[in-house]
Amino acid sequence: MKRIAVLALFVWIAGWIAAAFLWAPLVPVLGPTTRVLYFHIPAAWVTVLALGWSMVHSVLYLARRRMDHDHHAAGSAEIGILFCVVATLSGSMWAKAMWGSYWNWDPRETSIFFLLLVYGAYLALRASIDDPARRARLSAVYSAIAFVAVPFLIFVVPRIYFSLHPDPIINPQGKIDMDPRIRTTFFALLAGMSALFFWVLNLRVRTGRLETRATEAEIALEASSGRSR
Amino acid sequence: MHSRVTSSSSGAAVWAILRKECRTEWRTRYGLNAALLFAVTSLTATSFAVGPLGDRPDVLAALLWVVLLFAALASLHHAFVREVESHTMTLLRLVASPTQIALGKLGFNLAFLFVIEAVTVPLFALLSGAPAPRWGPFLGVLALGSVSLAAAATLVGAVVSQTRGRGALFAGVSFPLLLPMLAAAVSGTRAQWAGQPVTSELRLLAAYALGLLAASFVLYDHLWEE
Repeated sequence: MKRIAVLALFVWIAGWIAAAFLWAPLVPVLGPTTRVLYFHIPAAWVTVLALGWSMVHSVLYLARRRMDHDHHAAGSAEIGILFCVVATLSGSMWAKAMWGSYWNWDPRETSIFFLLLVYGAYLALRASIDDPARRARLSAVYSAIAFVAVPFLIFVVPRIYFSLHPDPIINPQGKIDMDPRIRTTFFALLAGMSALFFWVLNLRVRTGRLETRATEAEIALEASSGRSR
Repeated sequence: MHSRVTSSSSGAAVWAILRKECRTEWRTRYGLNAALLFAVTSLTATSFAVGPLGDRPDVLAALLWVVLLFAALASLHHAFVREVESHTMTLLRLVASPTQIALGKLGFNLAFLFVIEAVTVPLFALLSGAPAPRWGPFLGVLALGSVSLAAAATLVGAVVSQTRGRGALFAGVSFPLLLPMLAAAVSGTRAQWAGQPVTSELRLLAAYALGLLAASFVLYDHLWEE
Protein backbone atom coordinates (compact mmCIF):
# COMPACT_ATOMS: atom_id res chain seq x y z
CA MET A 1 0.00 0.00 0.00
CA LYS A 2 2.76 2.38 1.03
CA ARG A 3 4.79 1.41 -2.04
CA ILE A 4 1.83 2.22 -4.29
CA ALA A 5 1.44 5.64 -2.65
CA VAL A 6 5.13 6.44 -3.21
CA LEU A 7 4.95 5.24 -6.82
CA ALA A 8 1.83 7.36 -7.36
CA LEU A 9 3.69 10.37 -5.95
CA PHE A 10 6.56 9.89 -8.40
CA VAL A 11 4.20 9.43 -11.35
CA TRP A 12 2.30 12.57 -10.23
CA ILE A 13 5.44 14.73 -10.04
CA ALA A 14 6.92 13.36 -13.29
CA GLY A 15 3.61 13.82 -15.09
CA TRP A 16 3.20 17.42 -14.00
CA ILE A 17 6.82 18.22 -14.88
CA ALA A 18 6.05 16.93 -18.39
CA ALA A 19 2.89 19.06 -18.37
CA ALA A 20 4.94 22.09 -17.35
CA PHE A 21 7.01 21.73 -20.51
CA LEU A 22 4.41 20.45 -22.99
CA TRP A 23 0.96 21.60 -21.90
CA ALA A 24 1.21 24.86 -19.91
CA PRO A 25 1.64 28.03 -22.02
CA LEU A 26 4.45 30.56 -21.58
CA VAL A 27 3.91 33.97 -20.00
CA PRO A 28 4.65 36.76 -22.56
CA VAL A 29 7.20 38.78 -20.59
CA LEU A 30 8.98 35.78 -19.08
CA GLY A 31 9.17 33.61 -22.21
CA PRO A 32 10.83 30.21 -21.73
CA THR A 33 11.91 31.22 -18.22
CA THR A 34 8.25 30.77 -17.17
CA ARG A 35 9.08 27.13 -16.47
CA VAL A 36 11.37 28.06 -13.59
CA LEU A 37 8.18 29.02 -11.73
CA TYR A 38 7.12 25.36 -11.42
CA PHE A 39 10.33 24.38 -9.64
CA HIS A 40 11.48 27.56 -7.96
CA ILE A 41 8.33 28.54 -6.07
CA PRO A 42 7.47 25.01 -4.84
CA ALA A 43 11.08 24.60 -3.70
CA ALA A 44 10.93 27.94 -1.86
CA TRP A 45 7.58 26.96 -0.36
CA VAL A 46 8.92 23.58 0.84
CA THR A 47 11.93 25.41 2.34
CA VAL A 48 9.65 27.61 4.42
CA LEU A 49 7.42 24.65 5.32
CA ALA A 50 10.40 22.50 6.34
CA LEU A 51 12.16 25.17 8.37
CA GLY A 52 8.88 26.18 10.05
CA TRP A 53 8.27 22.50 10.84
CA SER A 54 11.77 22.29 12.30
CA MET A 55 11.22 25.31 14.56
CA VAL A 56 7.85 24.02 15.78
CA HIS A 57 9.35 20.64 16.67
CA SER A 58 12.32 22.29 18.40
CA VAL A 59 9.95 24.23 20.64
CA LEU A 60 7.88 21.07 21.19
CA TYR A 61 11.06 19.22 22.17
CA LEU A 62 11.83 21.79 24.87
CA ALA A 63 8.28 21.50 26.18
CA ARG A 64 7.88 17.70 26.07
CA ARG A 65 11.41 16.21 25.82
CA ARG A 66 10.51 13.47 23.38
CA MET A 67 13.34 12.36 21.10
CA ASP A 68 10.91 12.10 18.18
CA HIS A 69 10.56 15.89 18.11
CA ASP A 70 14.32 16.15 17.75
CA HIS A 71 14.27 13.68 14.83
CA HIS A 72 11.59 15.80 13.17
CA ALA A 73 13.46 19.06 13.85
CA ALA A 74 16.81 17.78 12.54
CA GLY A 75 15.33 15.91 9.57
CA SER A 76 13.24 18.79 8.33
CA ALA A 77 16.17 21.23 8.76
CA GLU A 78 18.32 18.99 6.54
CA ILE A 79 15.64 18.60 3.89
CA GLY A 80 14.78 22.31 4.15
CA ILE A 81 18.39 23.23 3.41
CA LEU A 82 18.37 20.93 0.39
CA PHE A 83 15.23 22.57 -1.00
CA CYS A 84 16.61 25.99 -0.08
CA VAL A 85 19.66 25.31 -2.24
CA VAL A 86 17.36 24.28 -5.12
CA ALA A 87 15.27 27.45 -4.67
CA THR A 88 18.35 29.67 -4.44
CA LEU A 89 20.06 28.15 -7.48
CA SER A 90 16.94 28.12 -9.65
CA GLY A 91 16.13 31.69 -8.60
CA SER A 92 19.69 32.76 -9.29
CA MET A 93 19.65 31.19 -12.77
CA TRP A 94 16.34 32.91 -13.49
CA ALA A 95 17.72 36.22 -12.20
CA LYS A 96 20.68 35.93 -14.58
CA ALA A 97 18.32 35.36 -17.50
CA MET A 98 15.88 38.14 -16.59
CA TRP A 99 17.77 40.73 -14.56
CA GLY A 100 21.23 40.16 -15.99
CA SER A 101 22.98 39.17 -12.78
CA TYR A 102 23.00 36.09 -10.59
CA TRP A 103 22.57 37.92 -7.32
CA ASN A 104 20.83 41.23 -6.57
CA TRP A 105 20.09 41.19 -2.81
CA ASP A 106 16.44 41.23 -3.63
CA PRO A 107 14.45 40.99 -0.32
CA ARG A 108 13.43 37.44 -1.04
CA GLU A 109 16.92 36.44 -2.09
CA THR A 110 18.09 37.95 1.16
CA SER A 111 15.55 36.23 3.40
CA ILE A 112 16.05 32.79 1.84
CA PHE A 113 19.81 33.20 2.08
CA PHE A 114 19.35 34.19 5.69
CA LEU A 115 17.34 31.02 6.37
CA LEU A 116 20.15 29.05 4.75
CA LEU A 117 22.67 30.66 7.14
CA VAL A 118 20.47 30.07 10.21
CA TYR A 119 20.06 26.38 9.42
CA GLY A 120 23.63 25.93 8.24
CA ALA A 121 24.61 27.12 11.71
CA TYR A 122 21.98 24.79 13.21
CA LEU A 123 23.55 21.76 11.51
CA ALA A 124 27.09 22.90 12.42
CA LEU A 125 25.98 23.17 16.03
CA ARG A 126 24.42 19.69 15.97
CA ALA A 127 27.55 18.21 14.46
CA SER A 128 29.68 19.40 17.35
CA ILE A 129 27.69 17.76 20.18
CA ASP A 130 27.98 14.00 20.74
CA ASP A 131 25.48 13.25 23.49
CA PRO A 132 22.03 12.88 21.82
CA ALA A 133 19.99 14.43 24.66
CA ARG A 134 22.30 17.40 24.99
CA ARG A 135 22.42 17.83 21.22
CA ALA A 136 18.63 17.83 21.05
CA ARG A 137 18.30 20.33 23.90
CA LEU A 138 20.95 22.82 22.77
CA SER A 139 19.96 22.80 19.11
CA ALA A 140 16.33 23.30 20.15
CA VAL A 141 17.37 26.34 22.21
CA TYR A 142 19.23 27.76 19.21
CA SER A 143 16.30 27.09 16.91
CA ALA A 144 13.90 28.80 19.32
CA ILE A 145 16.12 31.90 19.35
CA ALA A 146 16.28 31.84 15.54
CA PHE A 147 12.48 31.93 15.70
CA VAL A 148 12.85 35.48 17.04
CA ALA A 149 15.28 36.53 14.31
CA VAL A 150 13.46 35.25 11.23
CA PRO A 151 10.35 37.48 11.29
CA PHE A 152 12.56 40.48 11.95
CA LEU A 153 14.55 39.89 8.83
CA ILE A 154 11.34 39.71 6.86
CA PHE A 155 10.34 43.13 8.26
CA VAL A 156 13.78 44.76 8.25
CA VAL A 157 14.98 43.78 4.81
CA PRO A 158 12.08 45.09 2.68
CA ARG A 159 12.49 48.58 4.09
CA ILE A 160 16.18 48.58 3.18
CA TYR A 161 16.18 46.91 -0.25
CA PHE A 162 13.95 47.49 -3.25
CA SER A 163 12.26 44.40 -4.70
CA LEU A 164 12.76 43.21 -8.27
CA HIS A 165 10.75 40.04 -7.70
CA PRO A 166 8.30 39.28 -10.52
CA ASP A 167 5.13 38.70 -8.60
CA PRO A 168 4.71 42.21 -7.19
CA ILE A 169 5.80 43.66 -10.56
CA ILE A 170 4.07 41.44 -13.12
CA ASN A 171 1.03 40.56 -11.11
CA PRO A 172 0.29 43.09 -8.36
CA GLN A 173 -3.29 41.81 -7.91
CA GLY A 174 -2.13 38.34 -6.85
CA LYS A 175 -2.29 35.15 -8.84
CA ILE A 176 -5.95 35.28 -9.83
CA ASP A 177 -5.37 36.32 -13.48
CA MET A 178 -2.99 33.41 -14.08
CA ASP A 179 -3.77 31.18 -17.05
CA PRO A 180 -5.75 28.18 -15.71
CA ARG A 181 -3.28 25.69 -17.22
CA ILE A 182 -0.35 27.44 -15.53
CA ARG A 183 -2.27 27.59 -12.27
CA THR A 184 -3.21 23.90 -12.36
CA THR A 185 0.36 22.77 -13.15
CA PHE A 186 1.79 25.10 -10.52
CA PHE A 187 -0.50 23.97 -7.69
CA ALA A 188 -0.17 20.31 -8.71
CA LEU A 189 3.61 20.57 -8.44
CA LEU A 190 3.31 22.54 -5.20
CA ALA A 191 1.23 19.70 -3.72
CA GLY A 192 3.56 17.07 -5.18
CA MET A 193 6.69 18.69 -3.73
CA SER A 194 5.02 19.10 -0.32
CA ALA A 195 4.10 15.40 -0.34
CA LEU A 196 7.68 14.58 -1.38
CA PHE A 197 8.92 16.54 1.63
CA PHE A 198 6.72 14.65 4.07
CA TRP A 199 7.71 11.31 2.55
CA VAL A 200 11.46 12.05 2.78
CA LEU A 201 10.96 13.45 6.30
CA ASN A 202 9.18 10.26 7.29
CA LEU A 203 12.15 8.20 6.06
CA ARG A 204 14.56 10.50 7.91
CA VAL A 205 12.59 10.31 11.17
CA ARG A 206 12.55 6.53 10.97
CA THR A 207 16.33 6.34 10.46
CA GLY A 208 16.67 8.75 13.39
CA ARG A 209 14.61 6.42 15.59
CA LEU A 210 16.76 3.46 14.51
CA GLU A 211 19.92 5.40 15.35
CA THR A 212 18.58 6.20 18.82
CA ARG A 213 17.68 2.55 19.38
CA ALA A 214 21.09 1.40 18.18
CA THR A 215 22.82 3.82 20.58
CA GLU A 216 20.63 2.64 23.45
CA ALA A 217 21.36 -0.99 22.62
CA GLU A 218 25.07 -0.26 22.51
CA ILE A 219 24.93 1.41 25.93
CA ALA A 220 22.91 -1.51 27.36
CA LEU A 221 25.40 -4.00 25.90
CA GLU A 222 28.34 -2.14 27.37
CA ALA A 223 26.62 -1.99 30.75
CA SER A 224 25.86 -5.71 30.78
CA SER A 225 29.37 -6.71 29.65
CA GLY A 226 30.76 -4.41 32.31
CA ARG A 227 28.63 -6.17 34.93
CA SER A 228 29.71 -9.67 33.84
CA ARG A 229 33.40 -8.76 34.07
CA MET B 1 15.28 23.22 41.42
CA HIS B 2 16.46 26.74 40.74
CA SER B 3 15.30 28.27 43.99
CA ARG B 4 18.48 27.89 46.00
CA VAL B 5 18.67 31.65 46.02
CA THR B 6 15.34 33.15 47.05
CA SER B 7 13.63 35.59 44.71
CA SER B 8 14.19 38.54 47.06
CA SER B 9 17.93 38.11 46.70
CA SER B 10 17.93 37.23 42.98
CA GLY B 11 18.92 40.76 42.02
CA ALA B 12 21.78 40.48 44.48
CA ALA B 13 22.85 37.18 42.88
CA VAL B 14 22.89 38.74 39.41
CA TRP B 15 24.90 41.67 40.78
CA ALA B 16 27.32 39.32 42.54
CA ILE B 17 27.91 37.37 39.32
CA LEU B 18 28.42 40.58 37.36
CA ARG B 19 31.00 41.76 39.92
CA LYS B 20 32.71 38.39 39.90
CA GLU B 21 32.94 38.48 36.09
CA CYS B 22 34.44 41.96 36.10
CA ARG B 23 36.95 41.01 38.77
CA THR B 24 38.00 37.81 36.95
CA GLU B 25 38.36 39.70 33.70
CA TRP B 26 40.33 42.50 35.35
CA ARG B 27 42.76 40.04 36.90
CA THR B 28 44.07 38.86 33.53
CA ARG B 29 42.45 41.31 31.06
CA TYR B 30 43.00 38.53 28.56
CA GLY B 31 39.59 38.88 26.86
CA LEU B 32 39.63 42.66 26.94
CA ASN B 33 43.11 42.91 25.46
CA ALA B 34 42.27 40.44 22.71
CA ALA B 35 39.05 42.26 21.82
CA LEU B 36 40.65 45.71 21.79
CA LEU B 37 43.56 44.47 19.73
CA PHE B 38 41.13 42.87 17.32
CA ALA B 39 38.98 46.01 17.07
CA VAL B 40 41.93 48.35 16.56
CA THR B 41 43.64 46.15 13.94
CA SER B 42 40.45 45.53 11.98
CA LEU B 43 39.50 49.21 11.95
CA THR B 44 43.04 50.16 10.92
CA ALA B 45 42.88 47.61 8.13
CA THR B 46 39.51 48.84 6.87
CA SER B 47 40.27 52.56 7.01
CA PHE B 48 43.70 51.97 5.49
CA ALA B 49 42.12 49.98 2.66
CA VAL B 50 39.33 52.46 1.87
CA GLY B 51 40.89 55.81 2.81
CA PRO B 52 38.98 58.87 4.10
CA LEU B 53 35.22 58.38 3.94
CA GLY B 54 33.81 61.69 5.22
CA ASP B 55 31.35 61.96 2.31
CA ARG B 56 30.19 58.32 2.27
CA PRO B 57 27.87 57.74 5.26
CA ASP B 58 26.71 54.38 3.79
CA VAL B 59 30.22 52.89 3.71
CA LEU B 60 31.10 54.48 7.07
CA ALA B 61 28.07 52.93 8.78
CA ALA B 62 28.68 49.48 7.31
CA LEU B 63 32.39 49.48 8.21
CA LEU B 64 31.77 50.73 11.75
CA TRP B 65 29.31 47.91 12.48
CA VAL B 66 31.40 45.24 10.82
CA VAL B 67 34.37 46.25 12.99
CA LEU B 68 32.22 46.27 16.16
CA LEU B 69 30.60 42.93 15.27
CA PHE B 70 33.95 41.28 14.64
CA ALA B 71 35.46 42.59 17.85
CA ALA B 72 32.41 41.37 19.78
CA LEU B 73 32.36 37.95 18.14
CA ALA B 74 36.05 37.49 18.85
CA SER B 75 35.51 37.56 22.60
CA LEU B 76 31.90 37.61 23.87
CA HIS B 77 31.70 33.82 24.26
CA HIS B 78 34.53 34.13 26.73
CA ALA B 79 32.28 34.55 29.79
CA PHE B 80 30.83 31.03 29.56
CA VAL B 81 33.74 29.21 27.98
CA ARG B 82 35.94 30.33 30.88
CA GLU B 83 33.63 28.58 33.37
CA VAL B 84 33.64 25.37 31.37
CA GLU B 85 37.40 25.37 30.85
CA SER B 86 38.17 25.97 34.50
CA HIS B 87 35.42 23.49 35.58
CA THR B 88 33.66 26.08 37.73
CA MET B 89 30.24 25.91 36.06
CA THR B 90 28.87 23.29 38.46
CA LEU B 91 29.92 25.35 41.46
CA LEU B 92 28.33 28.45 39.98
CA ARG B 93 25.09 26.55 39.41
CA LEU B 94 25.01 25.54 43.06
CA VAL B 95 24.84 29.15 44.18
CA ALA B 96 22.62 30.69 41.50
CA SER B 97 19.88 29.76 39.01
CA PRO B 98 20.64 29.53 35.27
CA THR B 99 18.71 32.76 34.64
CA GLN B 100 20.65 34.64 37.33
CA ILE B 101 23.96 33.37 35.97
CA ALA B 102 22.95 34.33 32.45
CA LEU B 103 21.77 37.80 33.47
CA GLY B 104 24.98 38.43 35.36
CA LYS B 105 27.00 37.37 32.33
CA LEU B 106 24.77 39.42 30.04
CA GLY B 107 25.47 42.49 32.18
CA PHE B 108 29.17 41.74 31.99
CA ASN B 109 29.07 41.27 28.21
CA LEU B 110 27.22 44.56 27.85
CA ALA B 111 29.79 46.41 29.99
CA PHE B 112 32.55 44.71 28.02
CA LEU B 113 31.00 45.85 24.75
CA PHE B 114 30.69 49.44 25.99
CA VAL B 115 34.38 49.49 26.90
CA ILE B 116 35.31 48.21 23.42
CA GLU B 117 33.04 50.80 21.81
CA ALA B 118 34.44 53.63 23.95
CA VAL B 119 37.84 52.93 22.39
CA THR B 120 36.84 51.80 18.91
CA VAL B 121 34.20 54.37 17.91
CA PRO B 122 36.28 57.56 18.51
CA LEU B 123 39.30 55.94 16.89
CA PHE B 124 37.18 54.91 13.92
CA ALA B 125 35.78 58.45 13.57
CA LEU B 126 39.31 59.85 13.70
CA LEU B 127 40.86 57.43 11.18
CA SER B 128 38.03 57.44 8.66
CA GLY B 129 37.38 61.20 8.82
CA ALA B 130 33.73 60.69 9.75
CA PRO B 131 31.63 63.87 10.13
CA ALA B 132 30.31 64.71 13.62
CA PRO B 133 27.32 62.45 14.37
CA ARG B 134 23.92 63.55 15.65
CA TRP B 135 24.64 62.41 19.18
CA GLY B 136 21.13 61.42 20.29
CA PRO B 137 20.26 59.06 17.40
CA PHE B 138 23.86 57.86 17.07
CA LEU B 139 24.22 56.83 20.72
CA GLY B 140 20.67 55.42 20.68
CA VAL B 141 21.45 53.10 17.76
CA LEU B 142 24.79 52.16 19.32
CA ALA B 143 23.24 51.37 22.73
CA LEU B 144 20.25 49.39 21.41
CA GLY B 145 22.46 47.55 18.92
CA SER B 146 24.83 46.65 21.76
CA VAL B 147 21.96 45.24 23.86
CA SER B 148 20.88 42.95 20.99
CA LEU B 149 24.48 41.99 20.34
CA ALA B 150 25.12 41.18 24.00
CA ALA B 151 21.81 39.29 24.41
CA ALA B 152 22.39 37.09 21.35
CA ALA B 153 26.06 36.57 22.16
CA THR B 154 25.37 35.59 25.78
CA LEU B 155 22.79 32.98 24.81
CA VAL B 156 24.86 31.55 21.95
CA GLY B 157 27.94 31.65 24.19
CA ALA B 158 26.09 29.53 26.74
CA VAL B 159 25.07 27.03 24.05
CA VAL B 160 28.49 26.90 22.40
CA SER B 161 30.39 26.49 25.67
CA GLN B 162 28.82 23.01 25.95
CA THR B 163 30.01 21.84 22.52
CA ARG B 164 33.30 20.67 21.07
CA GLY B 165 33.56 23.56 18.58
CA ARG B 166 33.50 26.43 21.11
CA GLY B 167 35.37 29.48 19.81
CA ALA B 168 35.22 28.53 16.15
CA LEU B 169 31.52 27.69 16.30
CA PHE B 170 30.53 30.82 18.23
CA ALA B 171 30.94 33.34 15.40
CA GLY B 172 29.27 31.08 12.85
CA VAL B 173 26.28 30.31 15.04
CA SER B 174 25.64 33.81 16.35
CA PHE B 175 26.12 35.62 13.05
CA PRO B 176 22.76 34.59 11.50
CA LEU B 177 20.97 35.72 14.67
CA LEU B 178 22.74 39.07 14.50
CA LEU B 179 21.96 39.82 10.86
CA PRO B 180 18.61 41.57 11.52
CA MET B 181 20.19 43.71 14.23
CA LEU B 182 23.15 44.44 11.95
CA ALA B 183 20.88 45.50 9.07
CA ALA B 184 18.84 47.84 11.31
CA ALA B 185 21.93 49.25 13.06
CA VAL B 186 23.76 49.95 9.79
CA SER B 187 20.69 51.56 8.29
CA GLY B 188 20.13 53.66 11.43
CA THR B 189 23.75 54.80 11.63
CA ARG B 190 23.70 55.72 7.94
CA ALA B 191 20.42 57.61 8.37
CA GLN B 192 21.74 59.73 11.25
CA TRP B 193 24.84 60.71 9.22
CA ALA B 194 22.70 61.45 6.18
CA GLY B 195 20.36 63.64 8.24
CA GLN B 196 17.34 61.35 7.84
CA PRO B 197 14.92 60.23 10.59
CA VAL B 198 16.10 57.24 12.64
CA THR B 199 12.87 56.49 14.55
CA SER B 200 11.88 53.33 12.66
CA GLU B 201 15.35 51.80 13.02
CA LEU B 202 15.43 52.63 16.74
CA ARG B 203 12.03 51.00 17.14
CA LEU B 204 13.19 47.89 15.26
CA LEU B 205 16.36 47.62 17.32
CA ALA B 206 14.43 48.02 20.57
CA ALA B 207 11.87 45.39 19.51
CA TYR B 208 14.62 43.00 18.47
CA ALA B 209 16.51 43.45 21.73
CA LEU B 210 13.29 42.89 23.70
CA GLY B 211 12.45 39.79 21.65
CA LEU B 212 15.91 38.32 22.25
CA LEU B 213 15.82 39.13 25.98
CA ALA B 214 12.34 37.64 26.39
CA ALA B 215 13.30 34.47 24.52
CA SER B 216 16.48 34.25 26.58
CA PHE B 217 14.51 34.41 29.83
CA VAL B 218 12.37 31.47 28.73
CA LEU B 219 15.26 29.45 27.33
CA TYR B 220 18.02 29.79 29.94
CA ASP B 221 16.42 27.21 32.22
CA HIS B 222 16.75 24.65 29.43
CA LEU B 223 20.47 25.25 29.01
CA TRP B 224 21.91 23.35 31.96
CA GLU B 225 20.29 20.16 33.01
CA GLU B 226 22.66 17.31 33.55
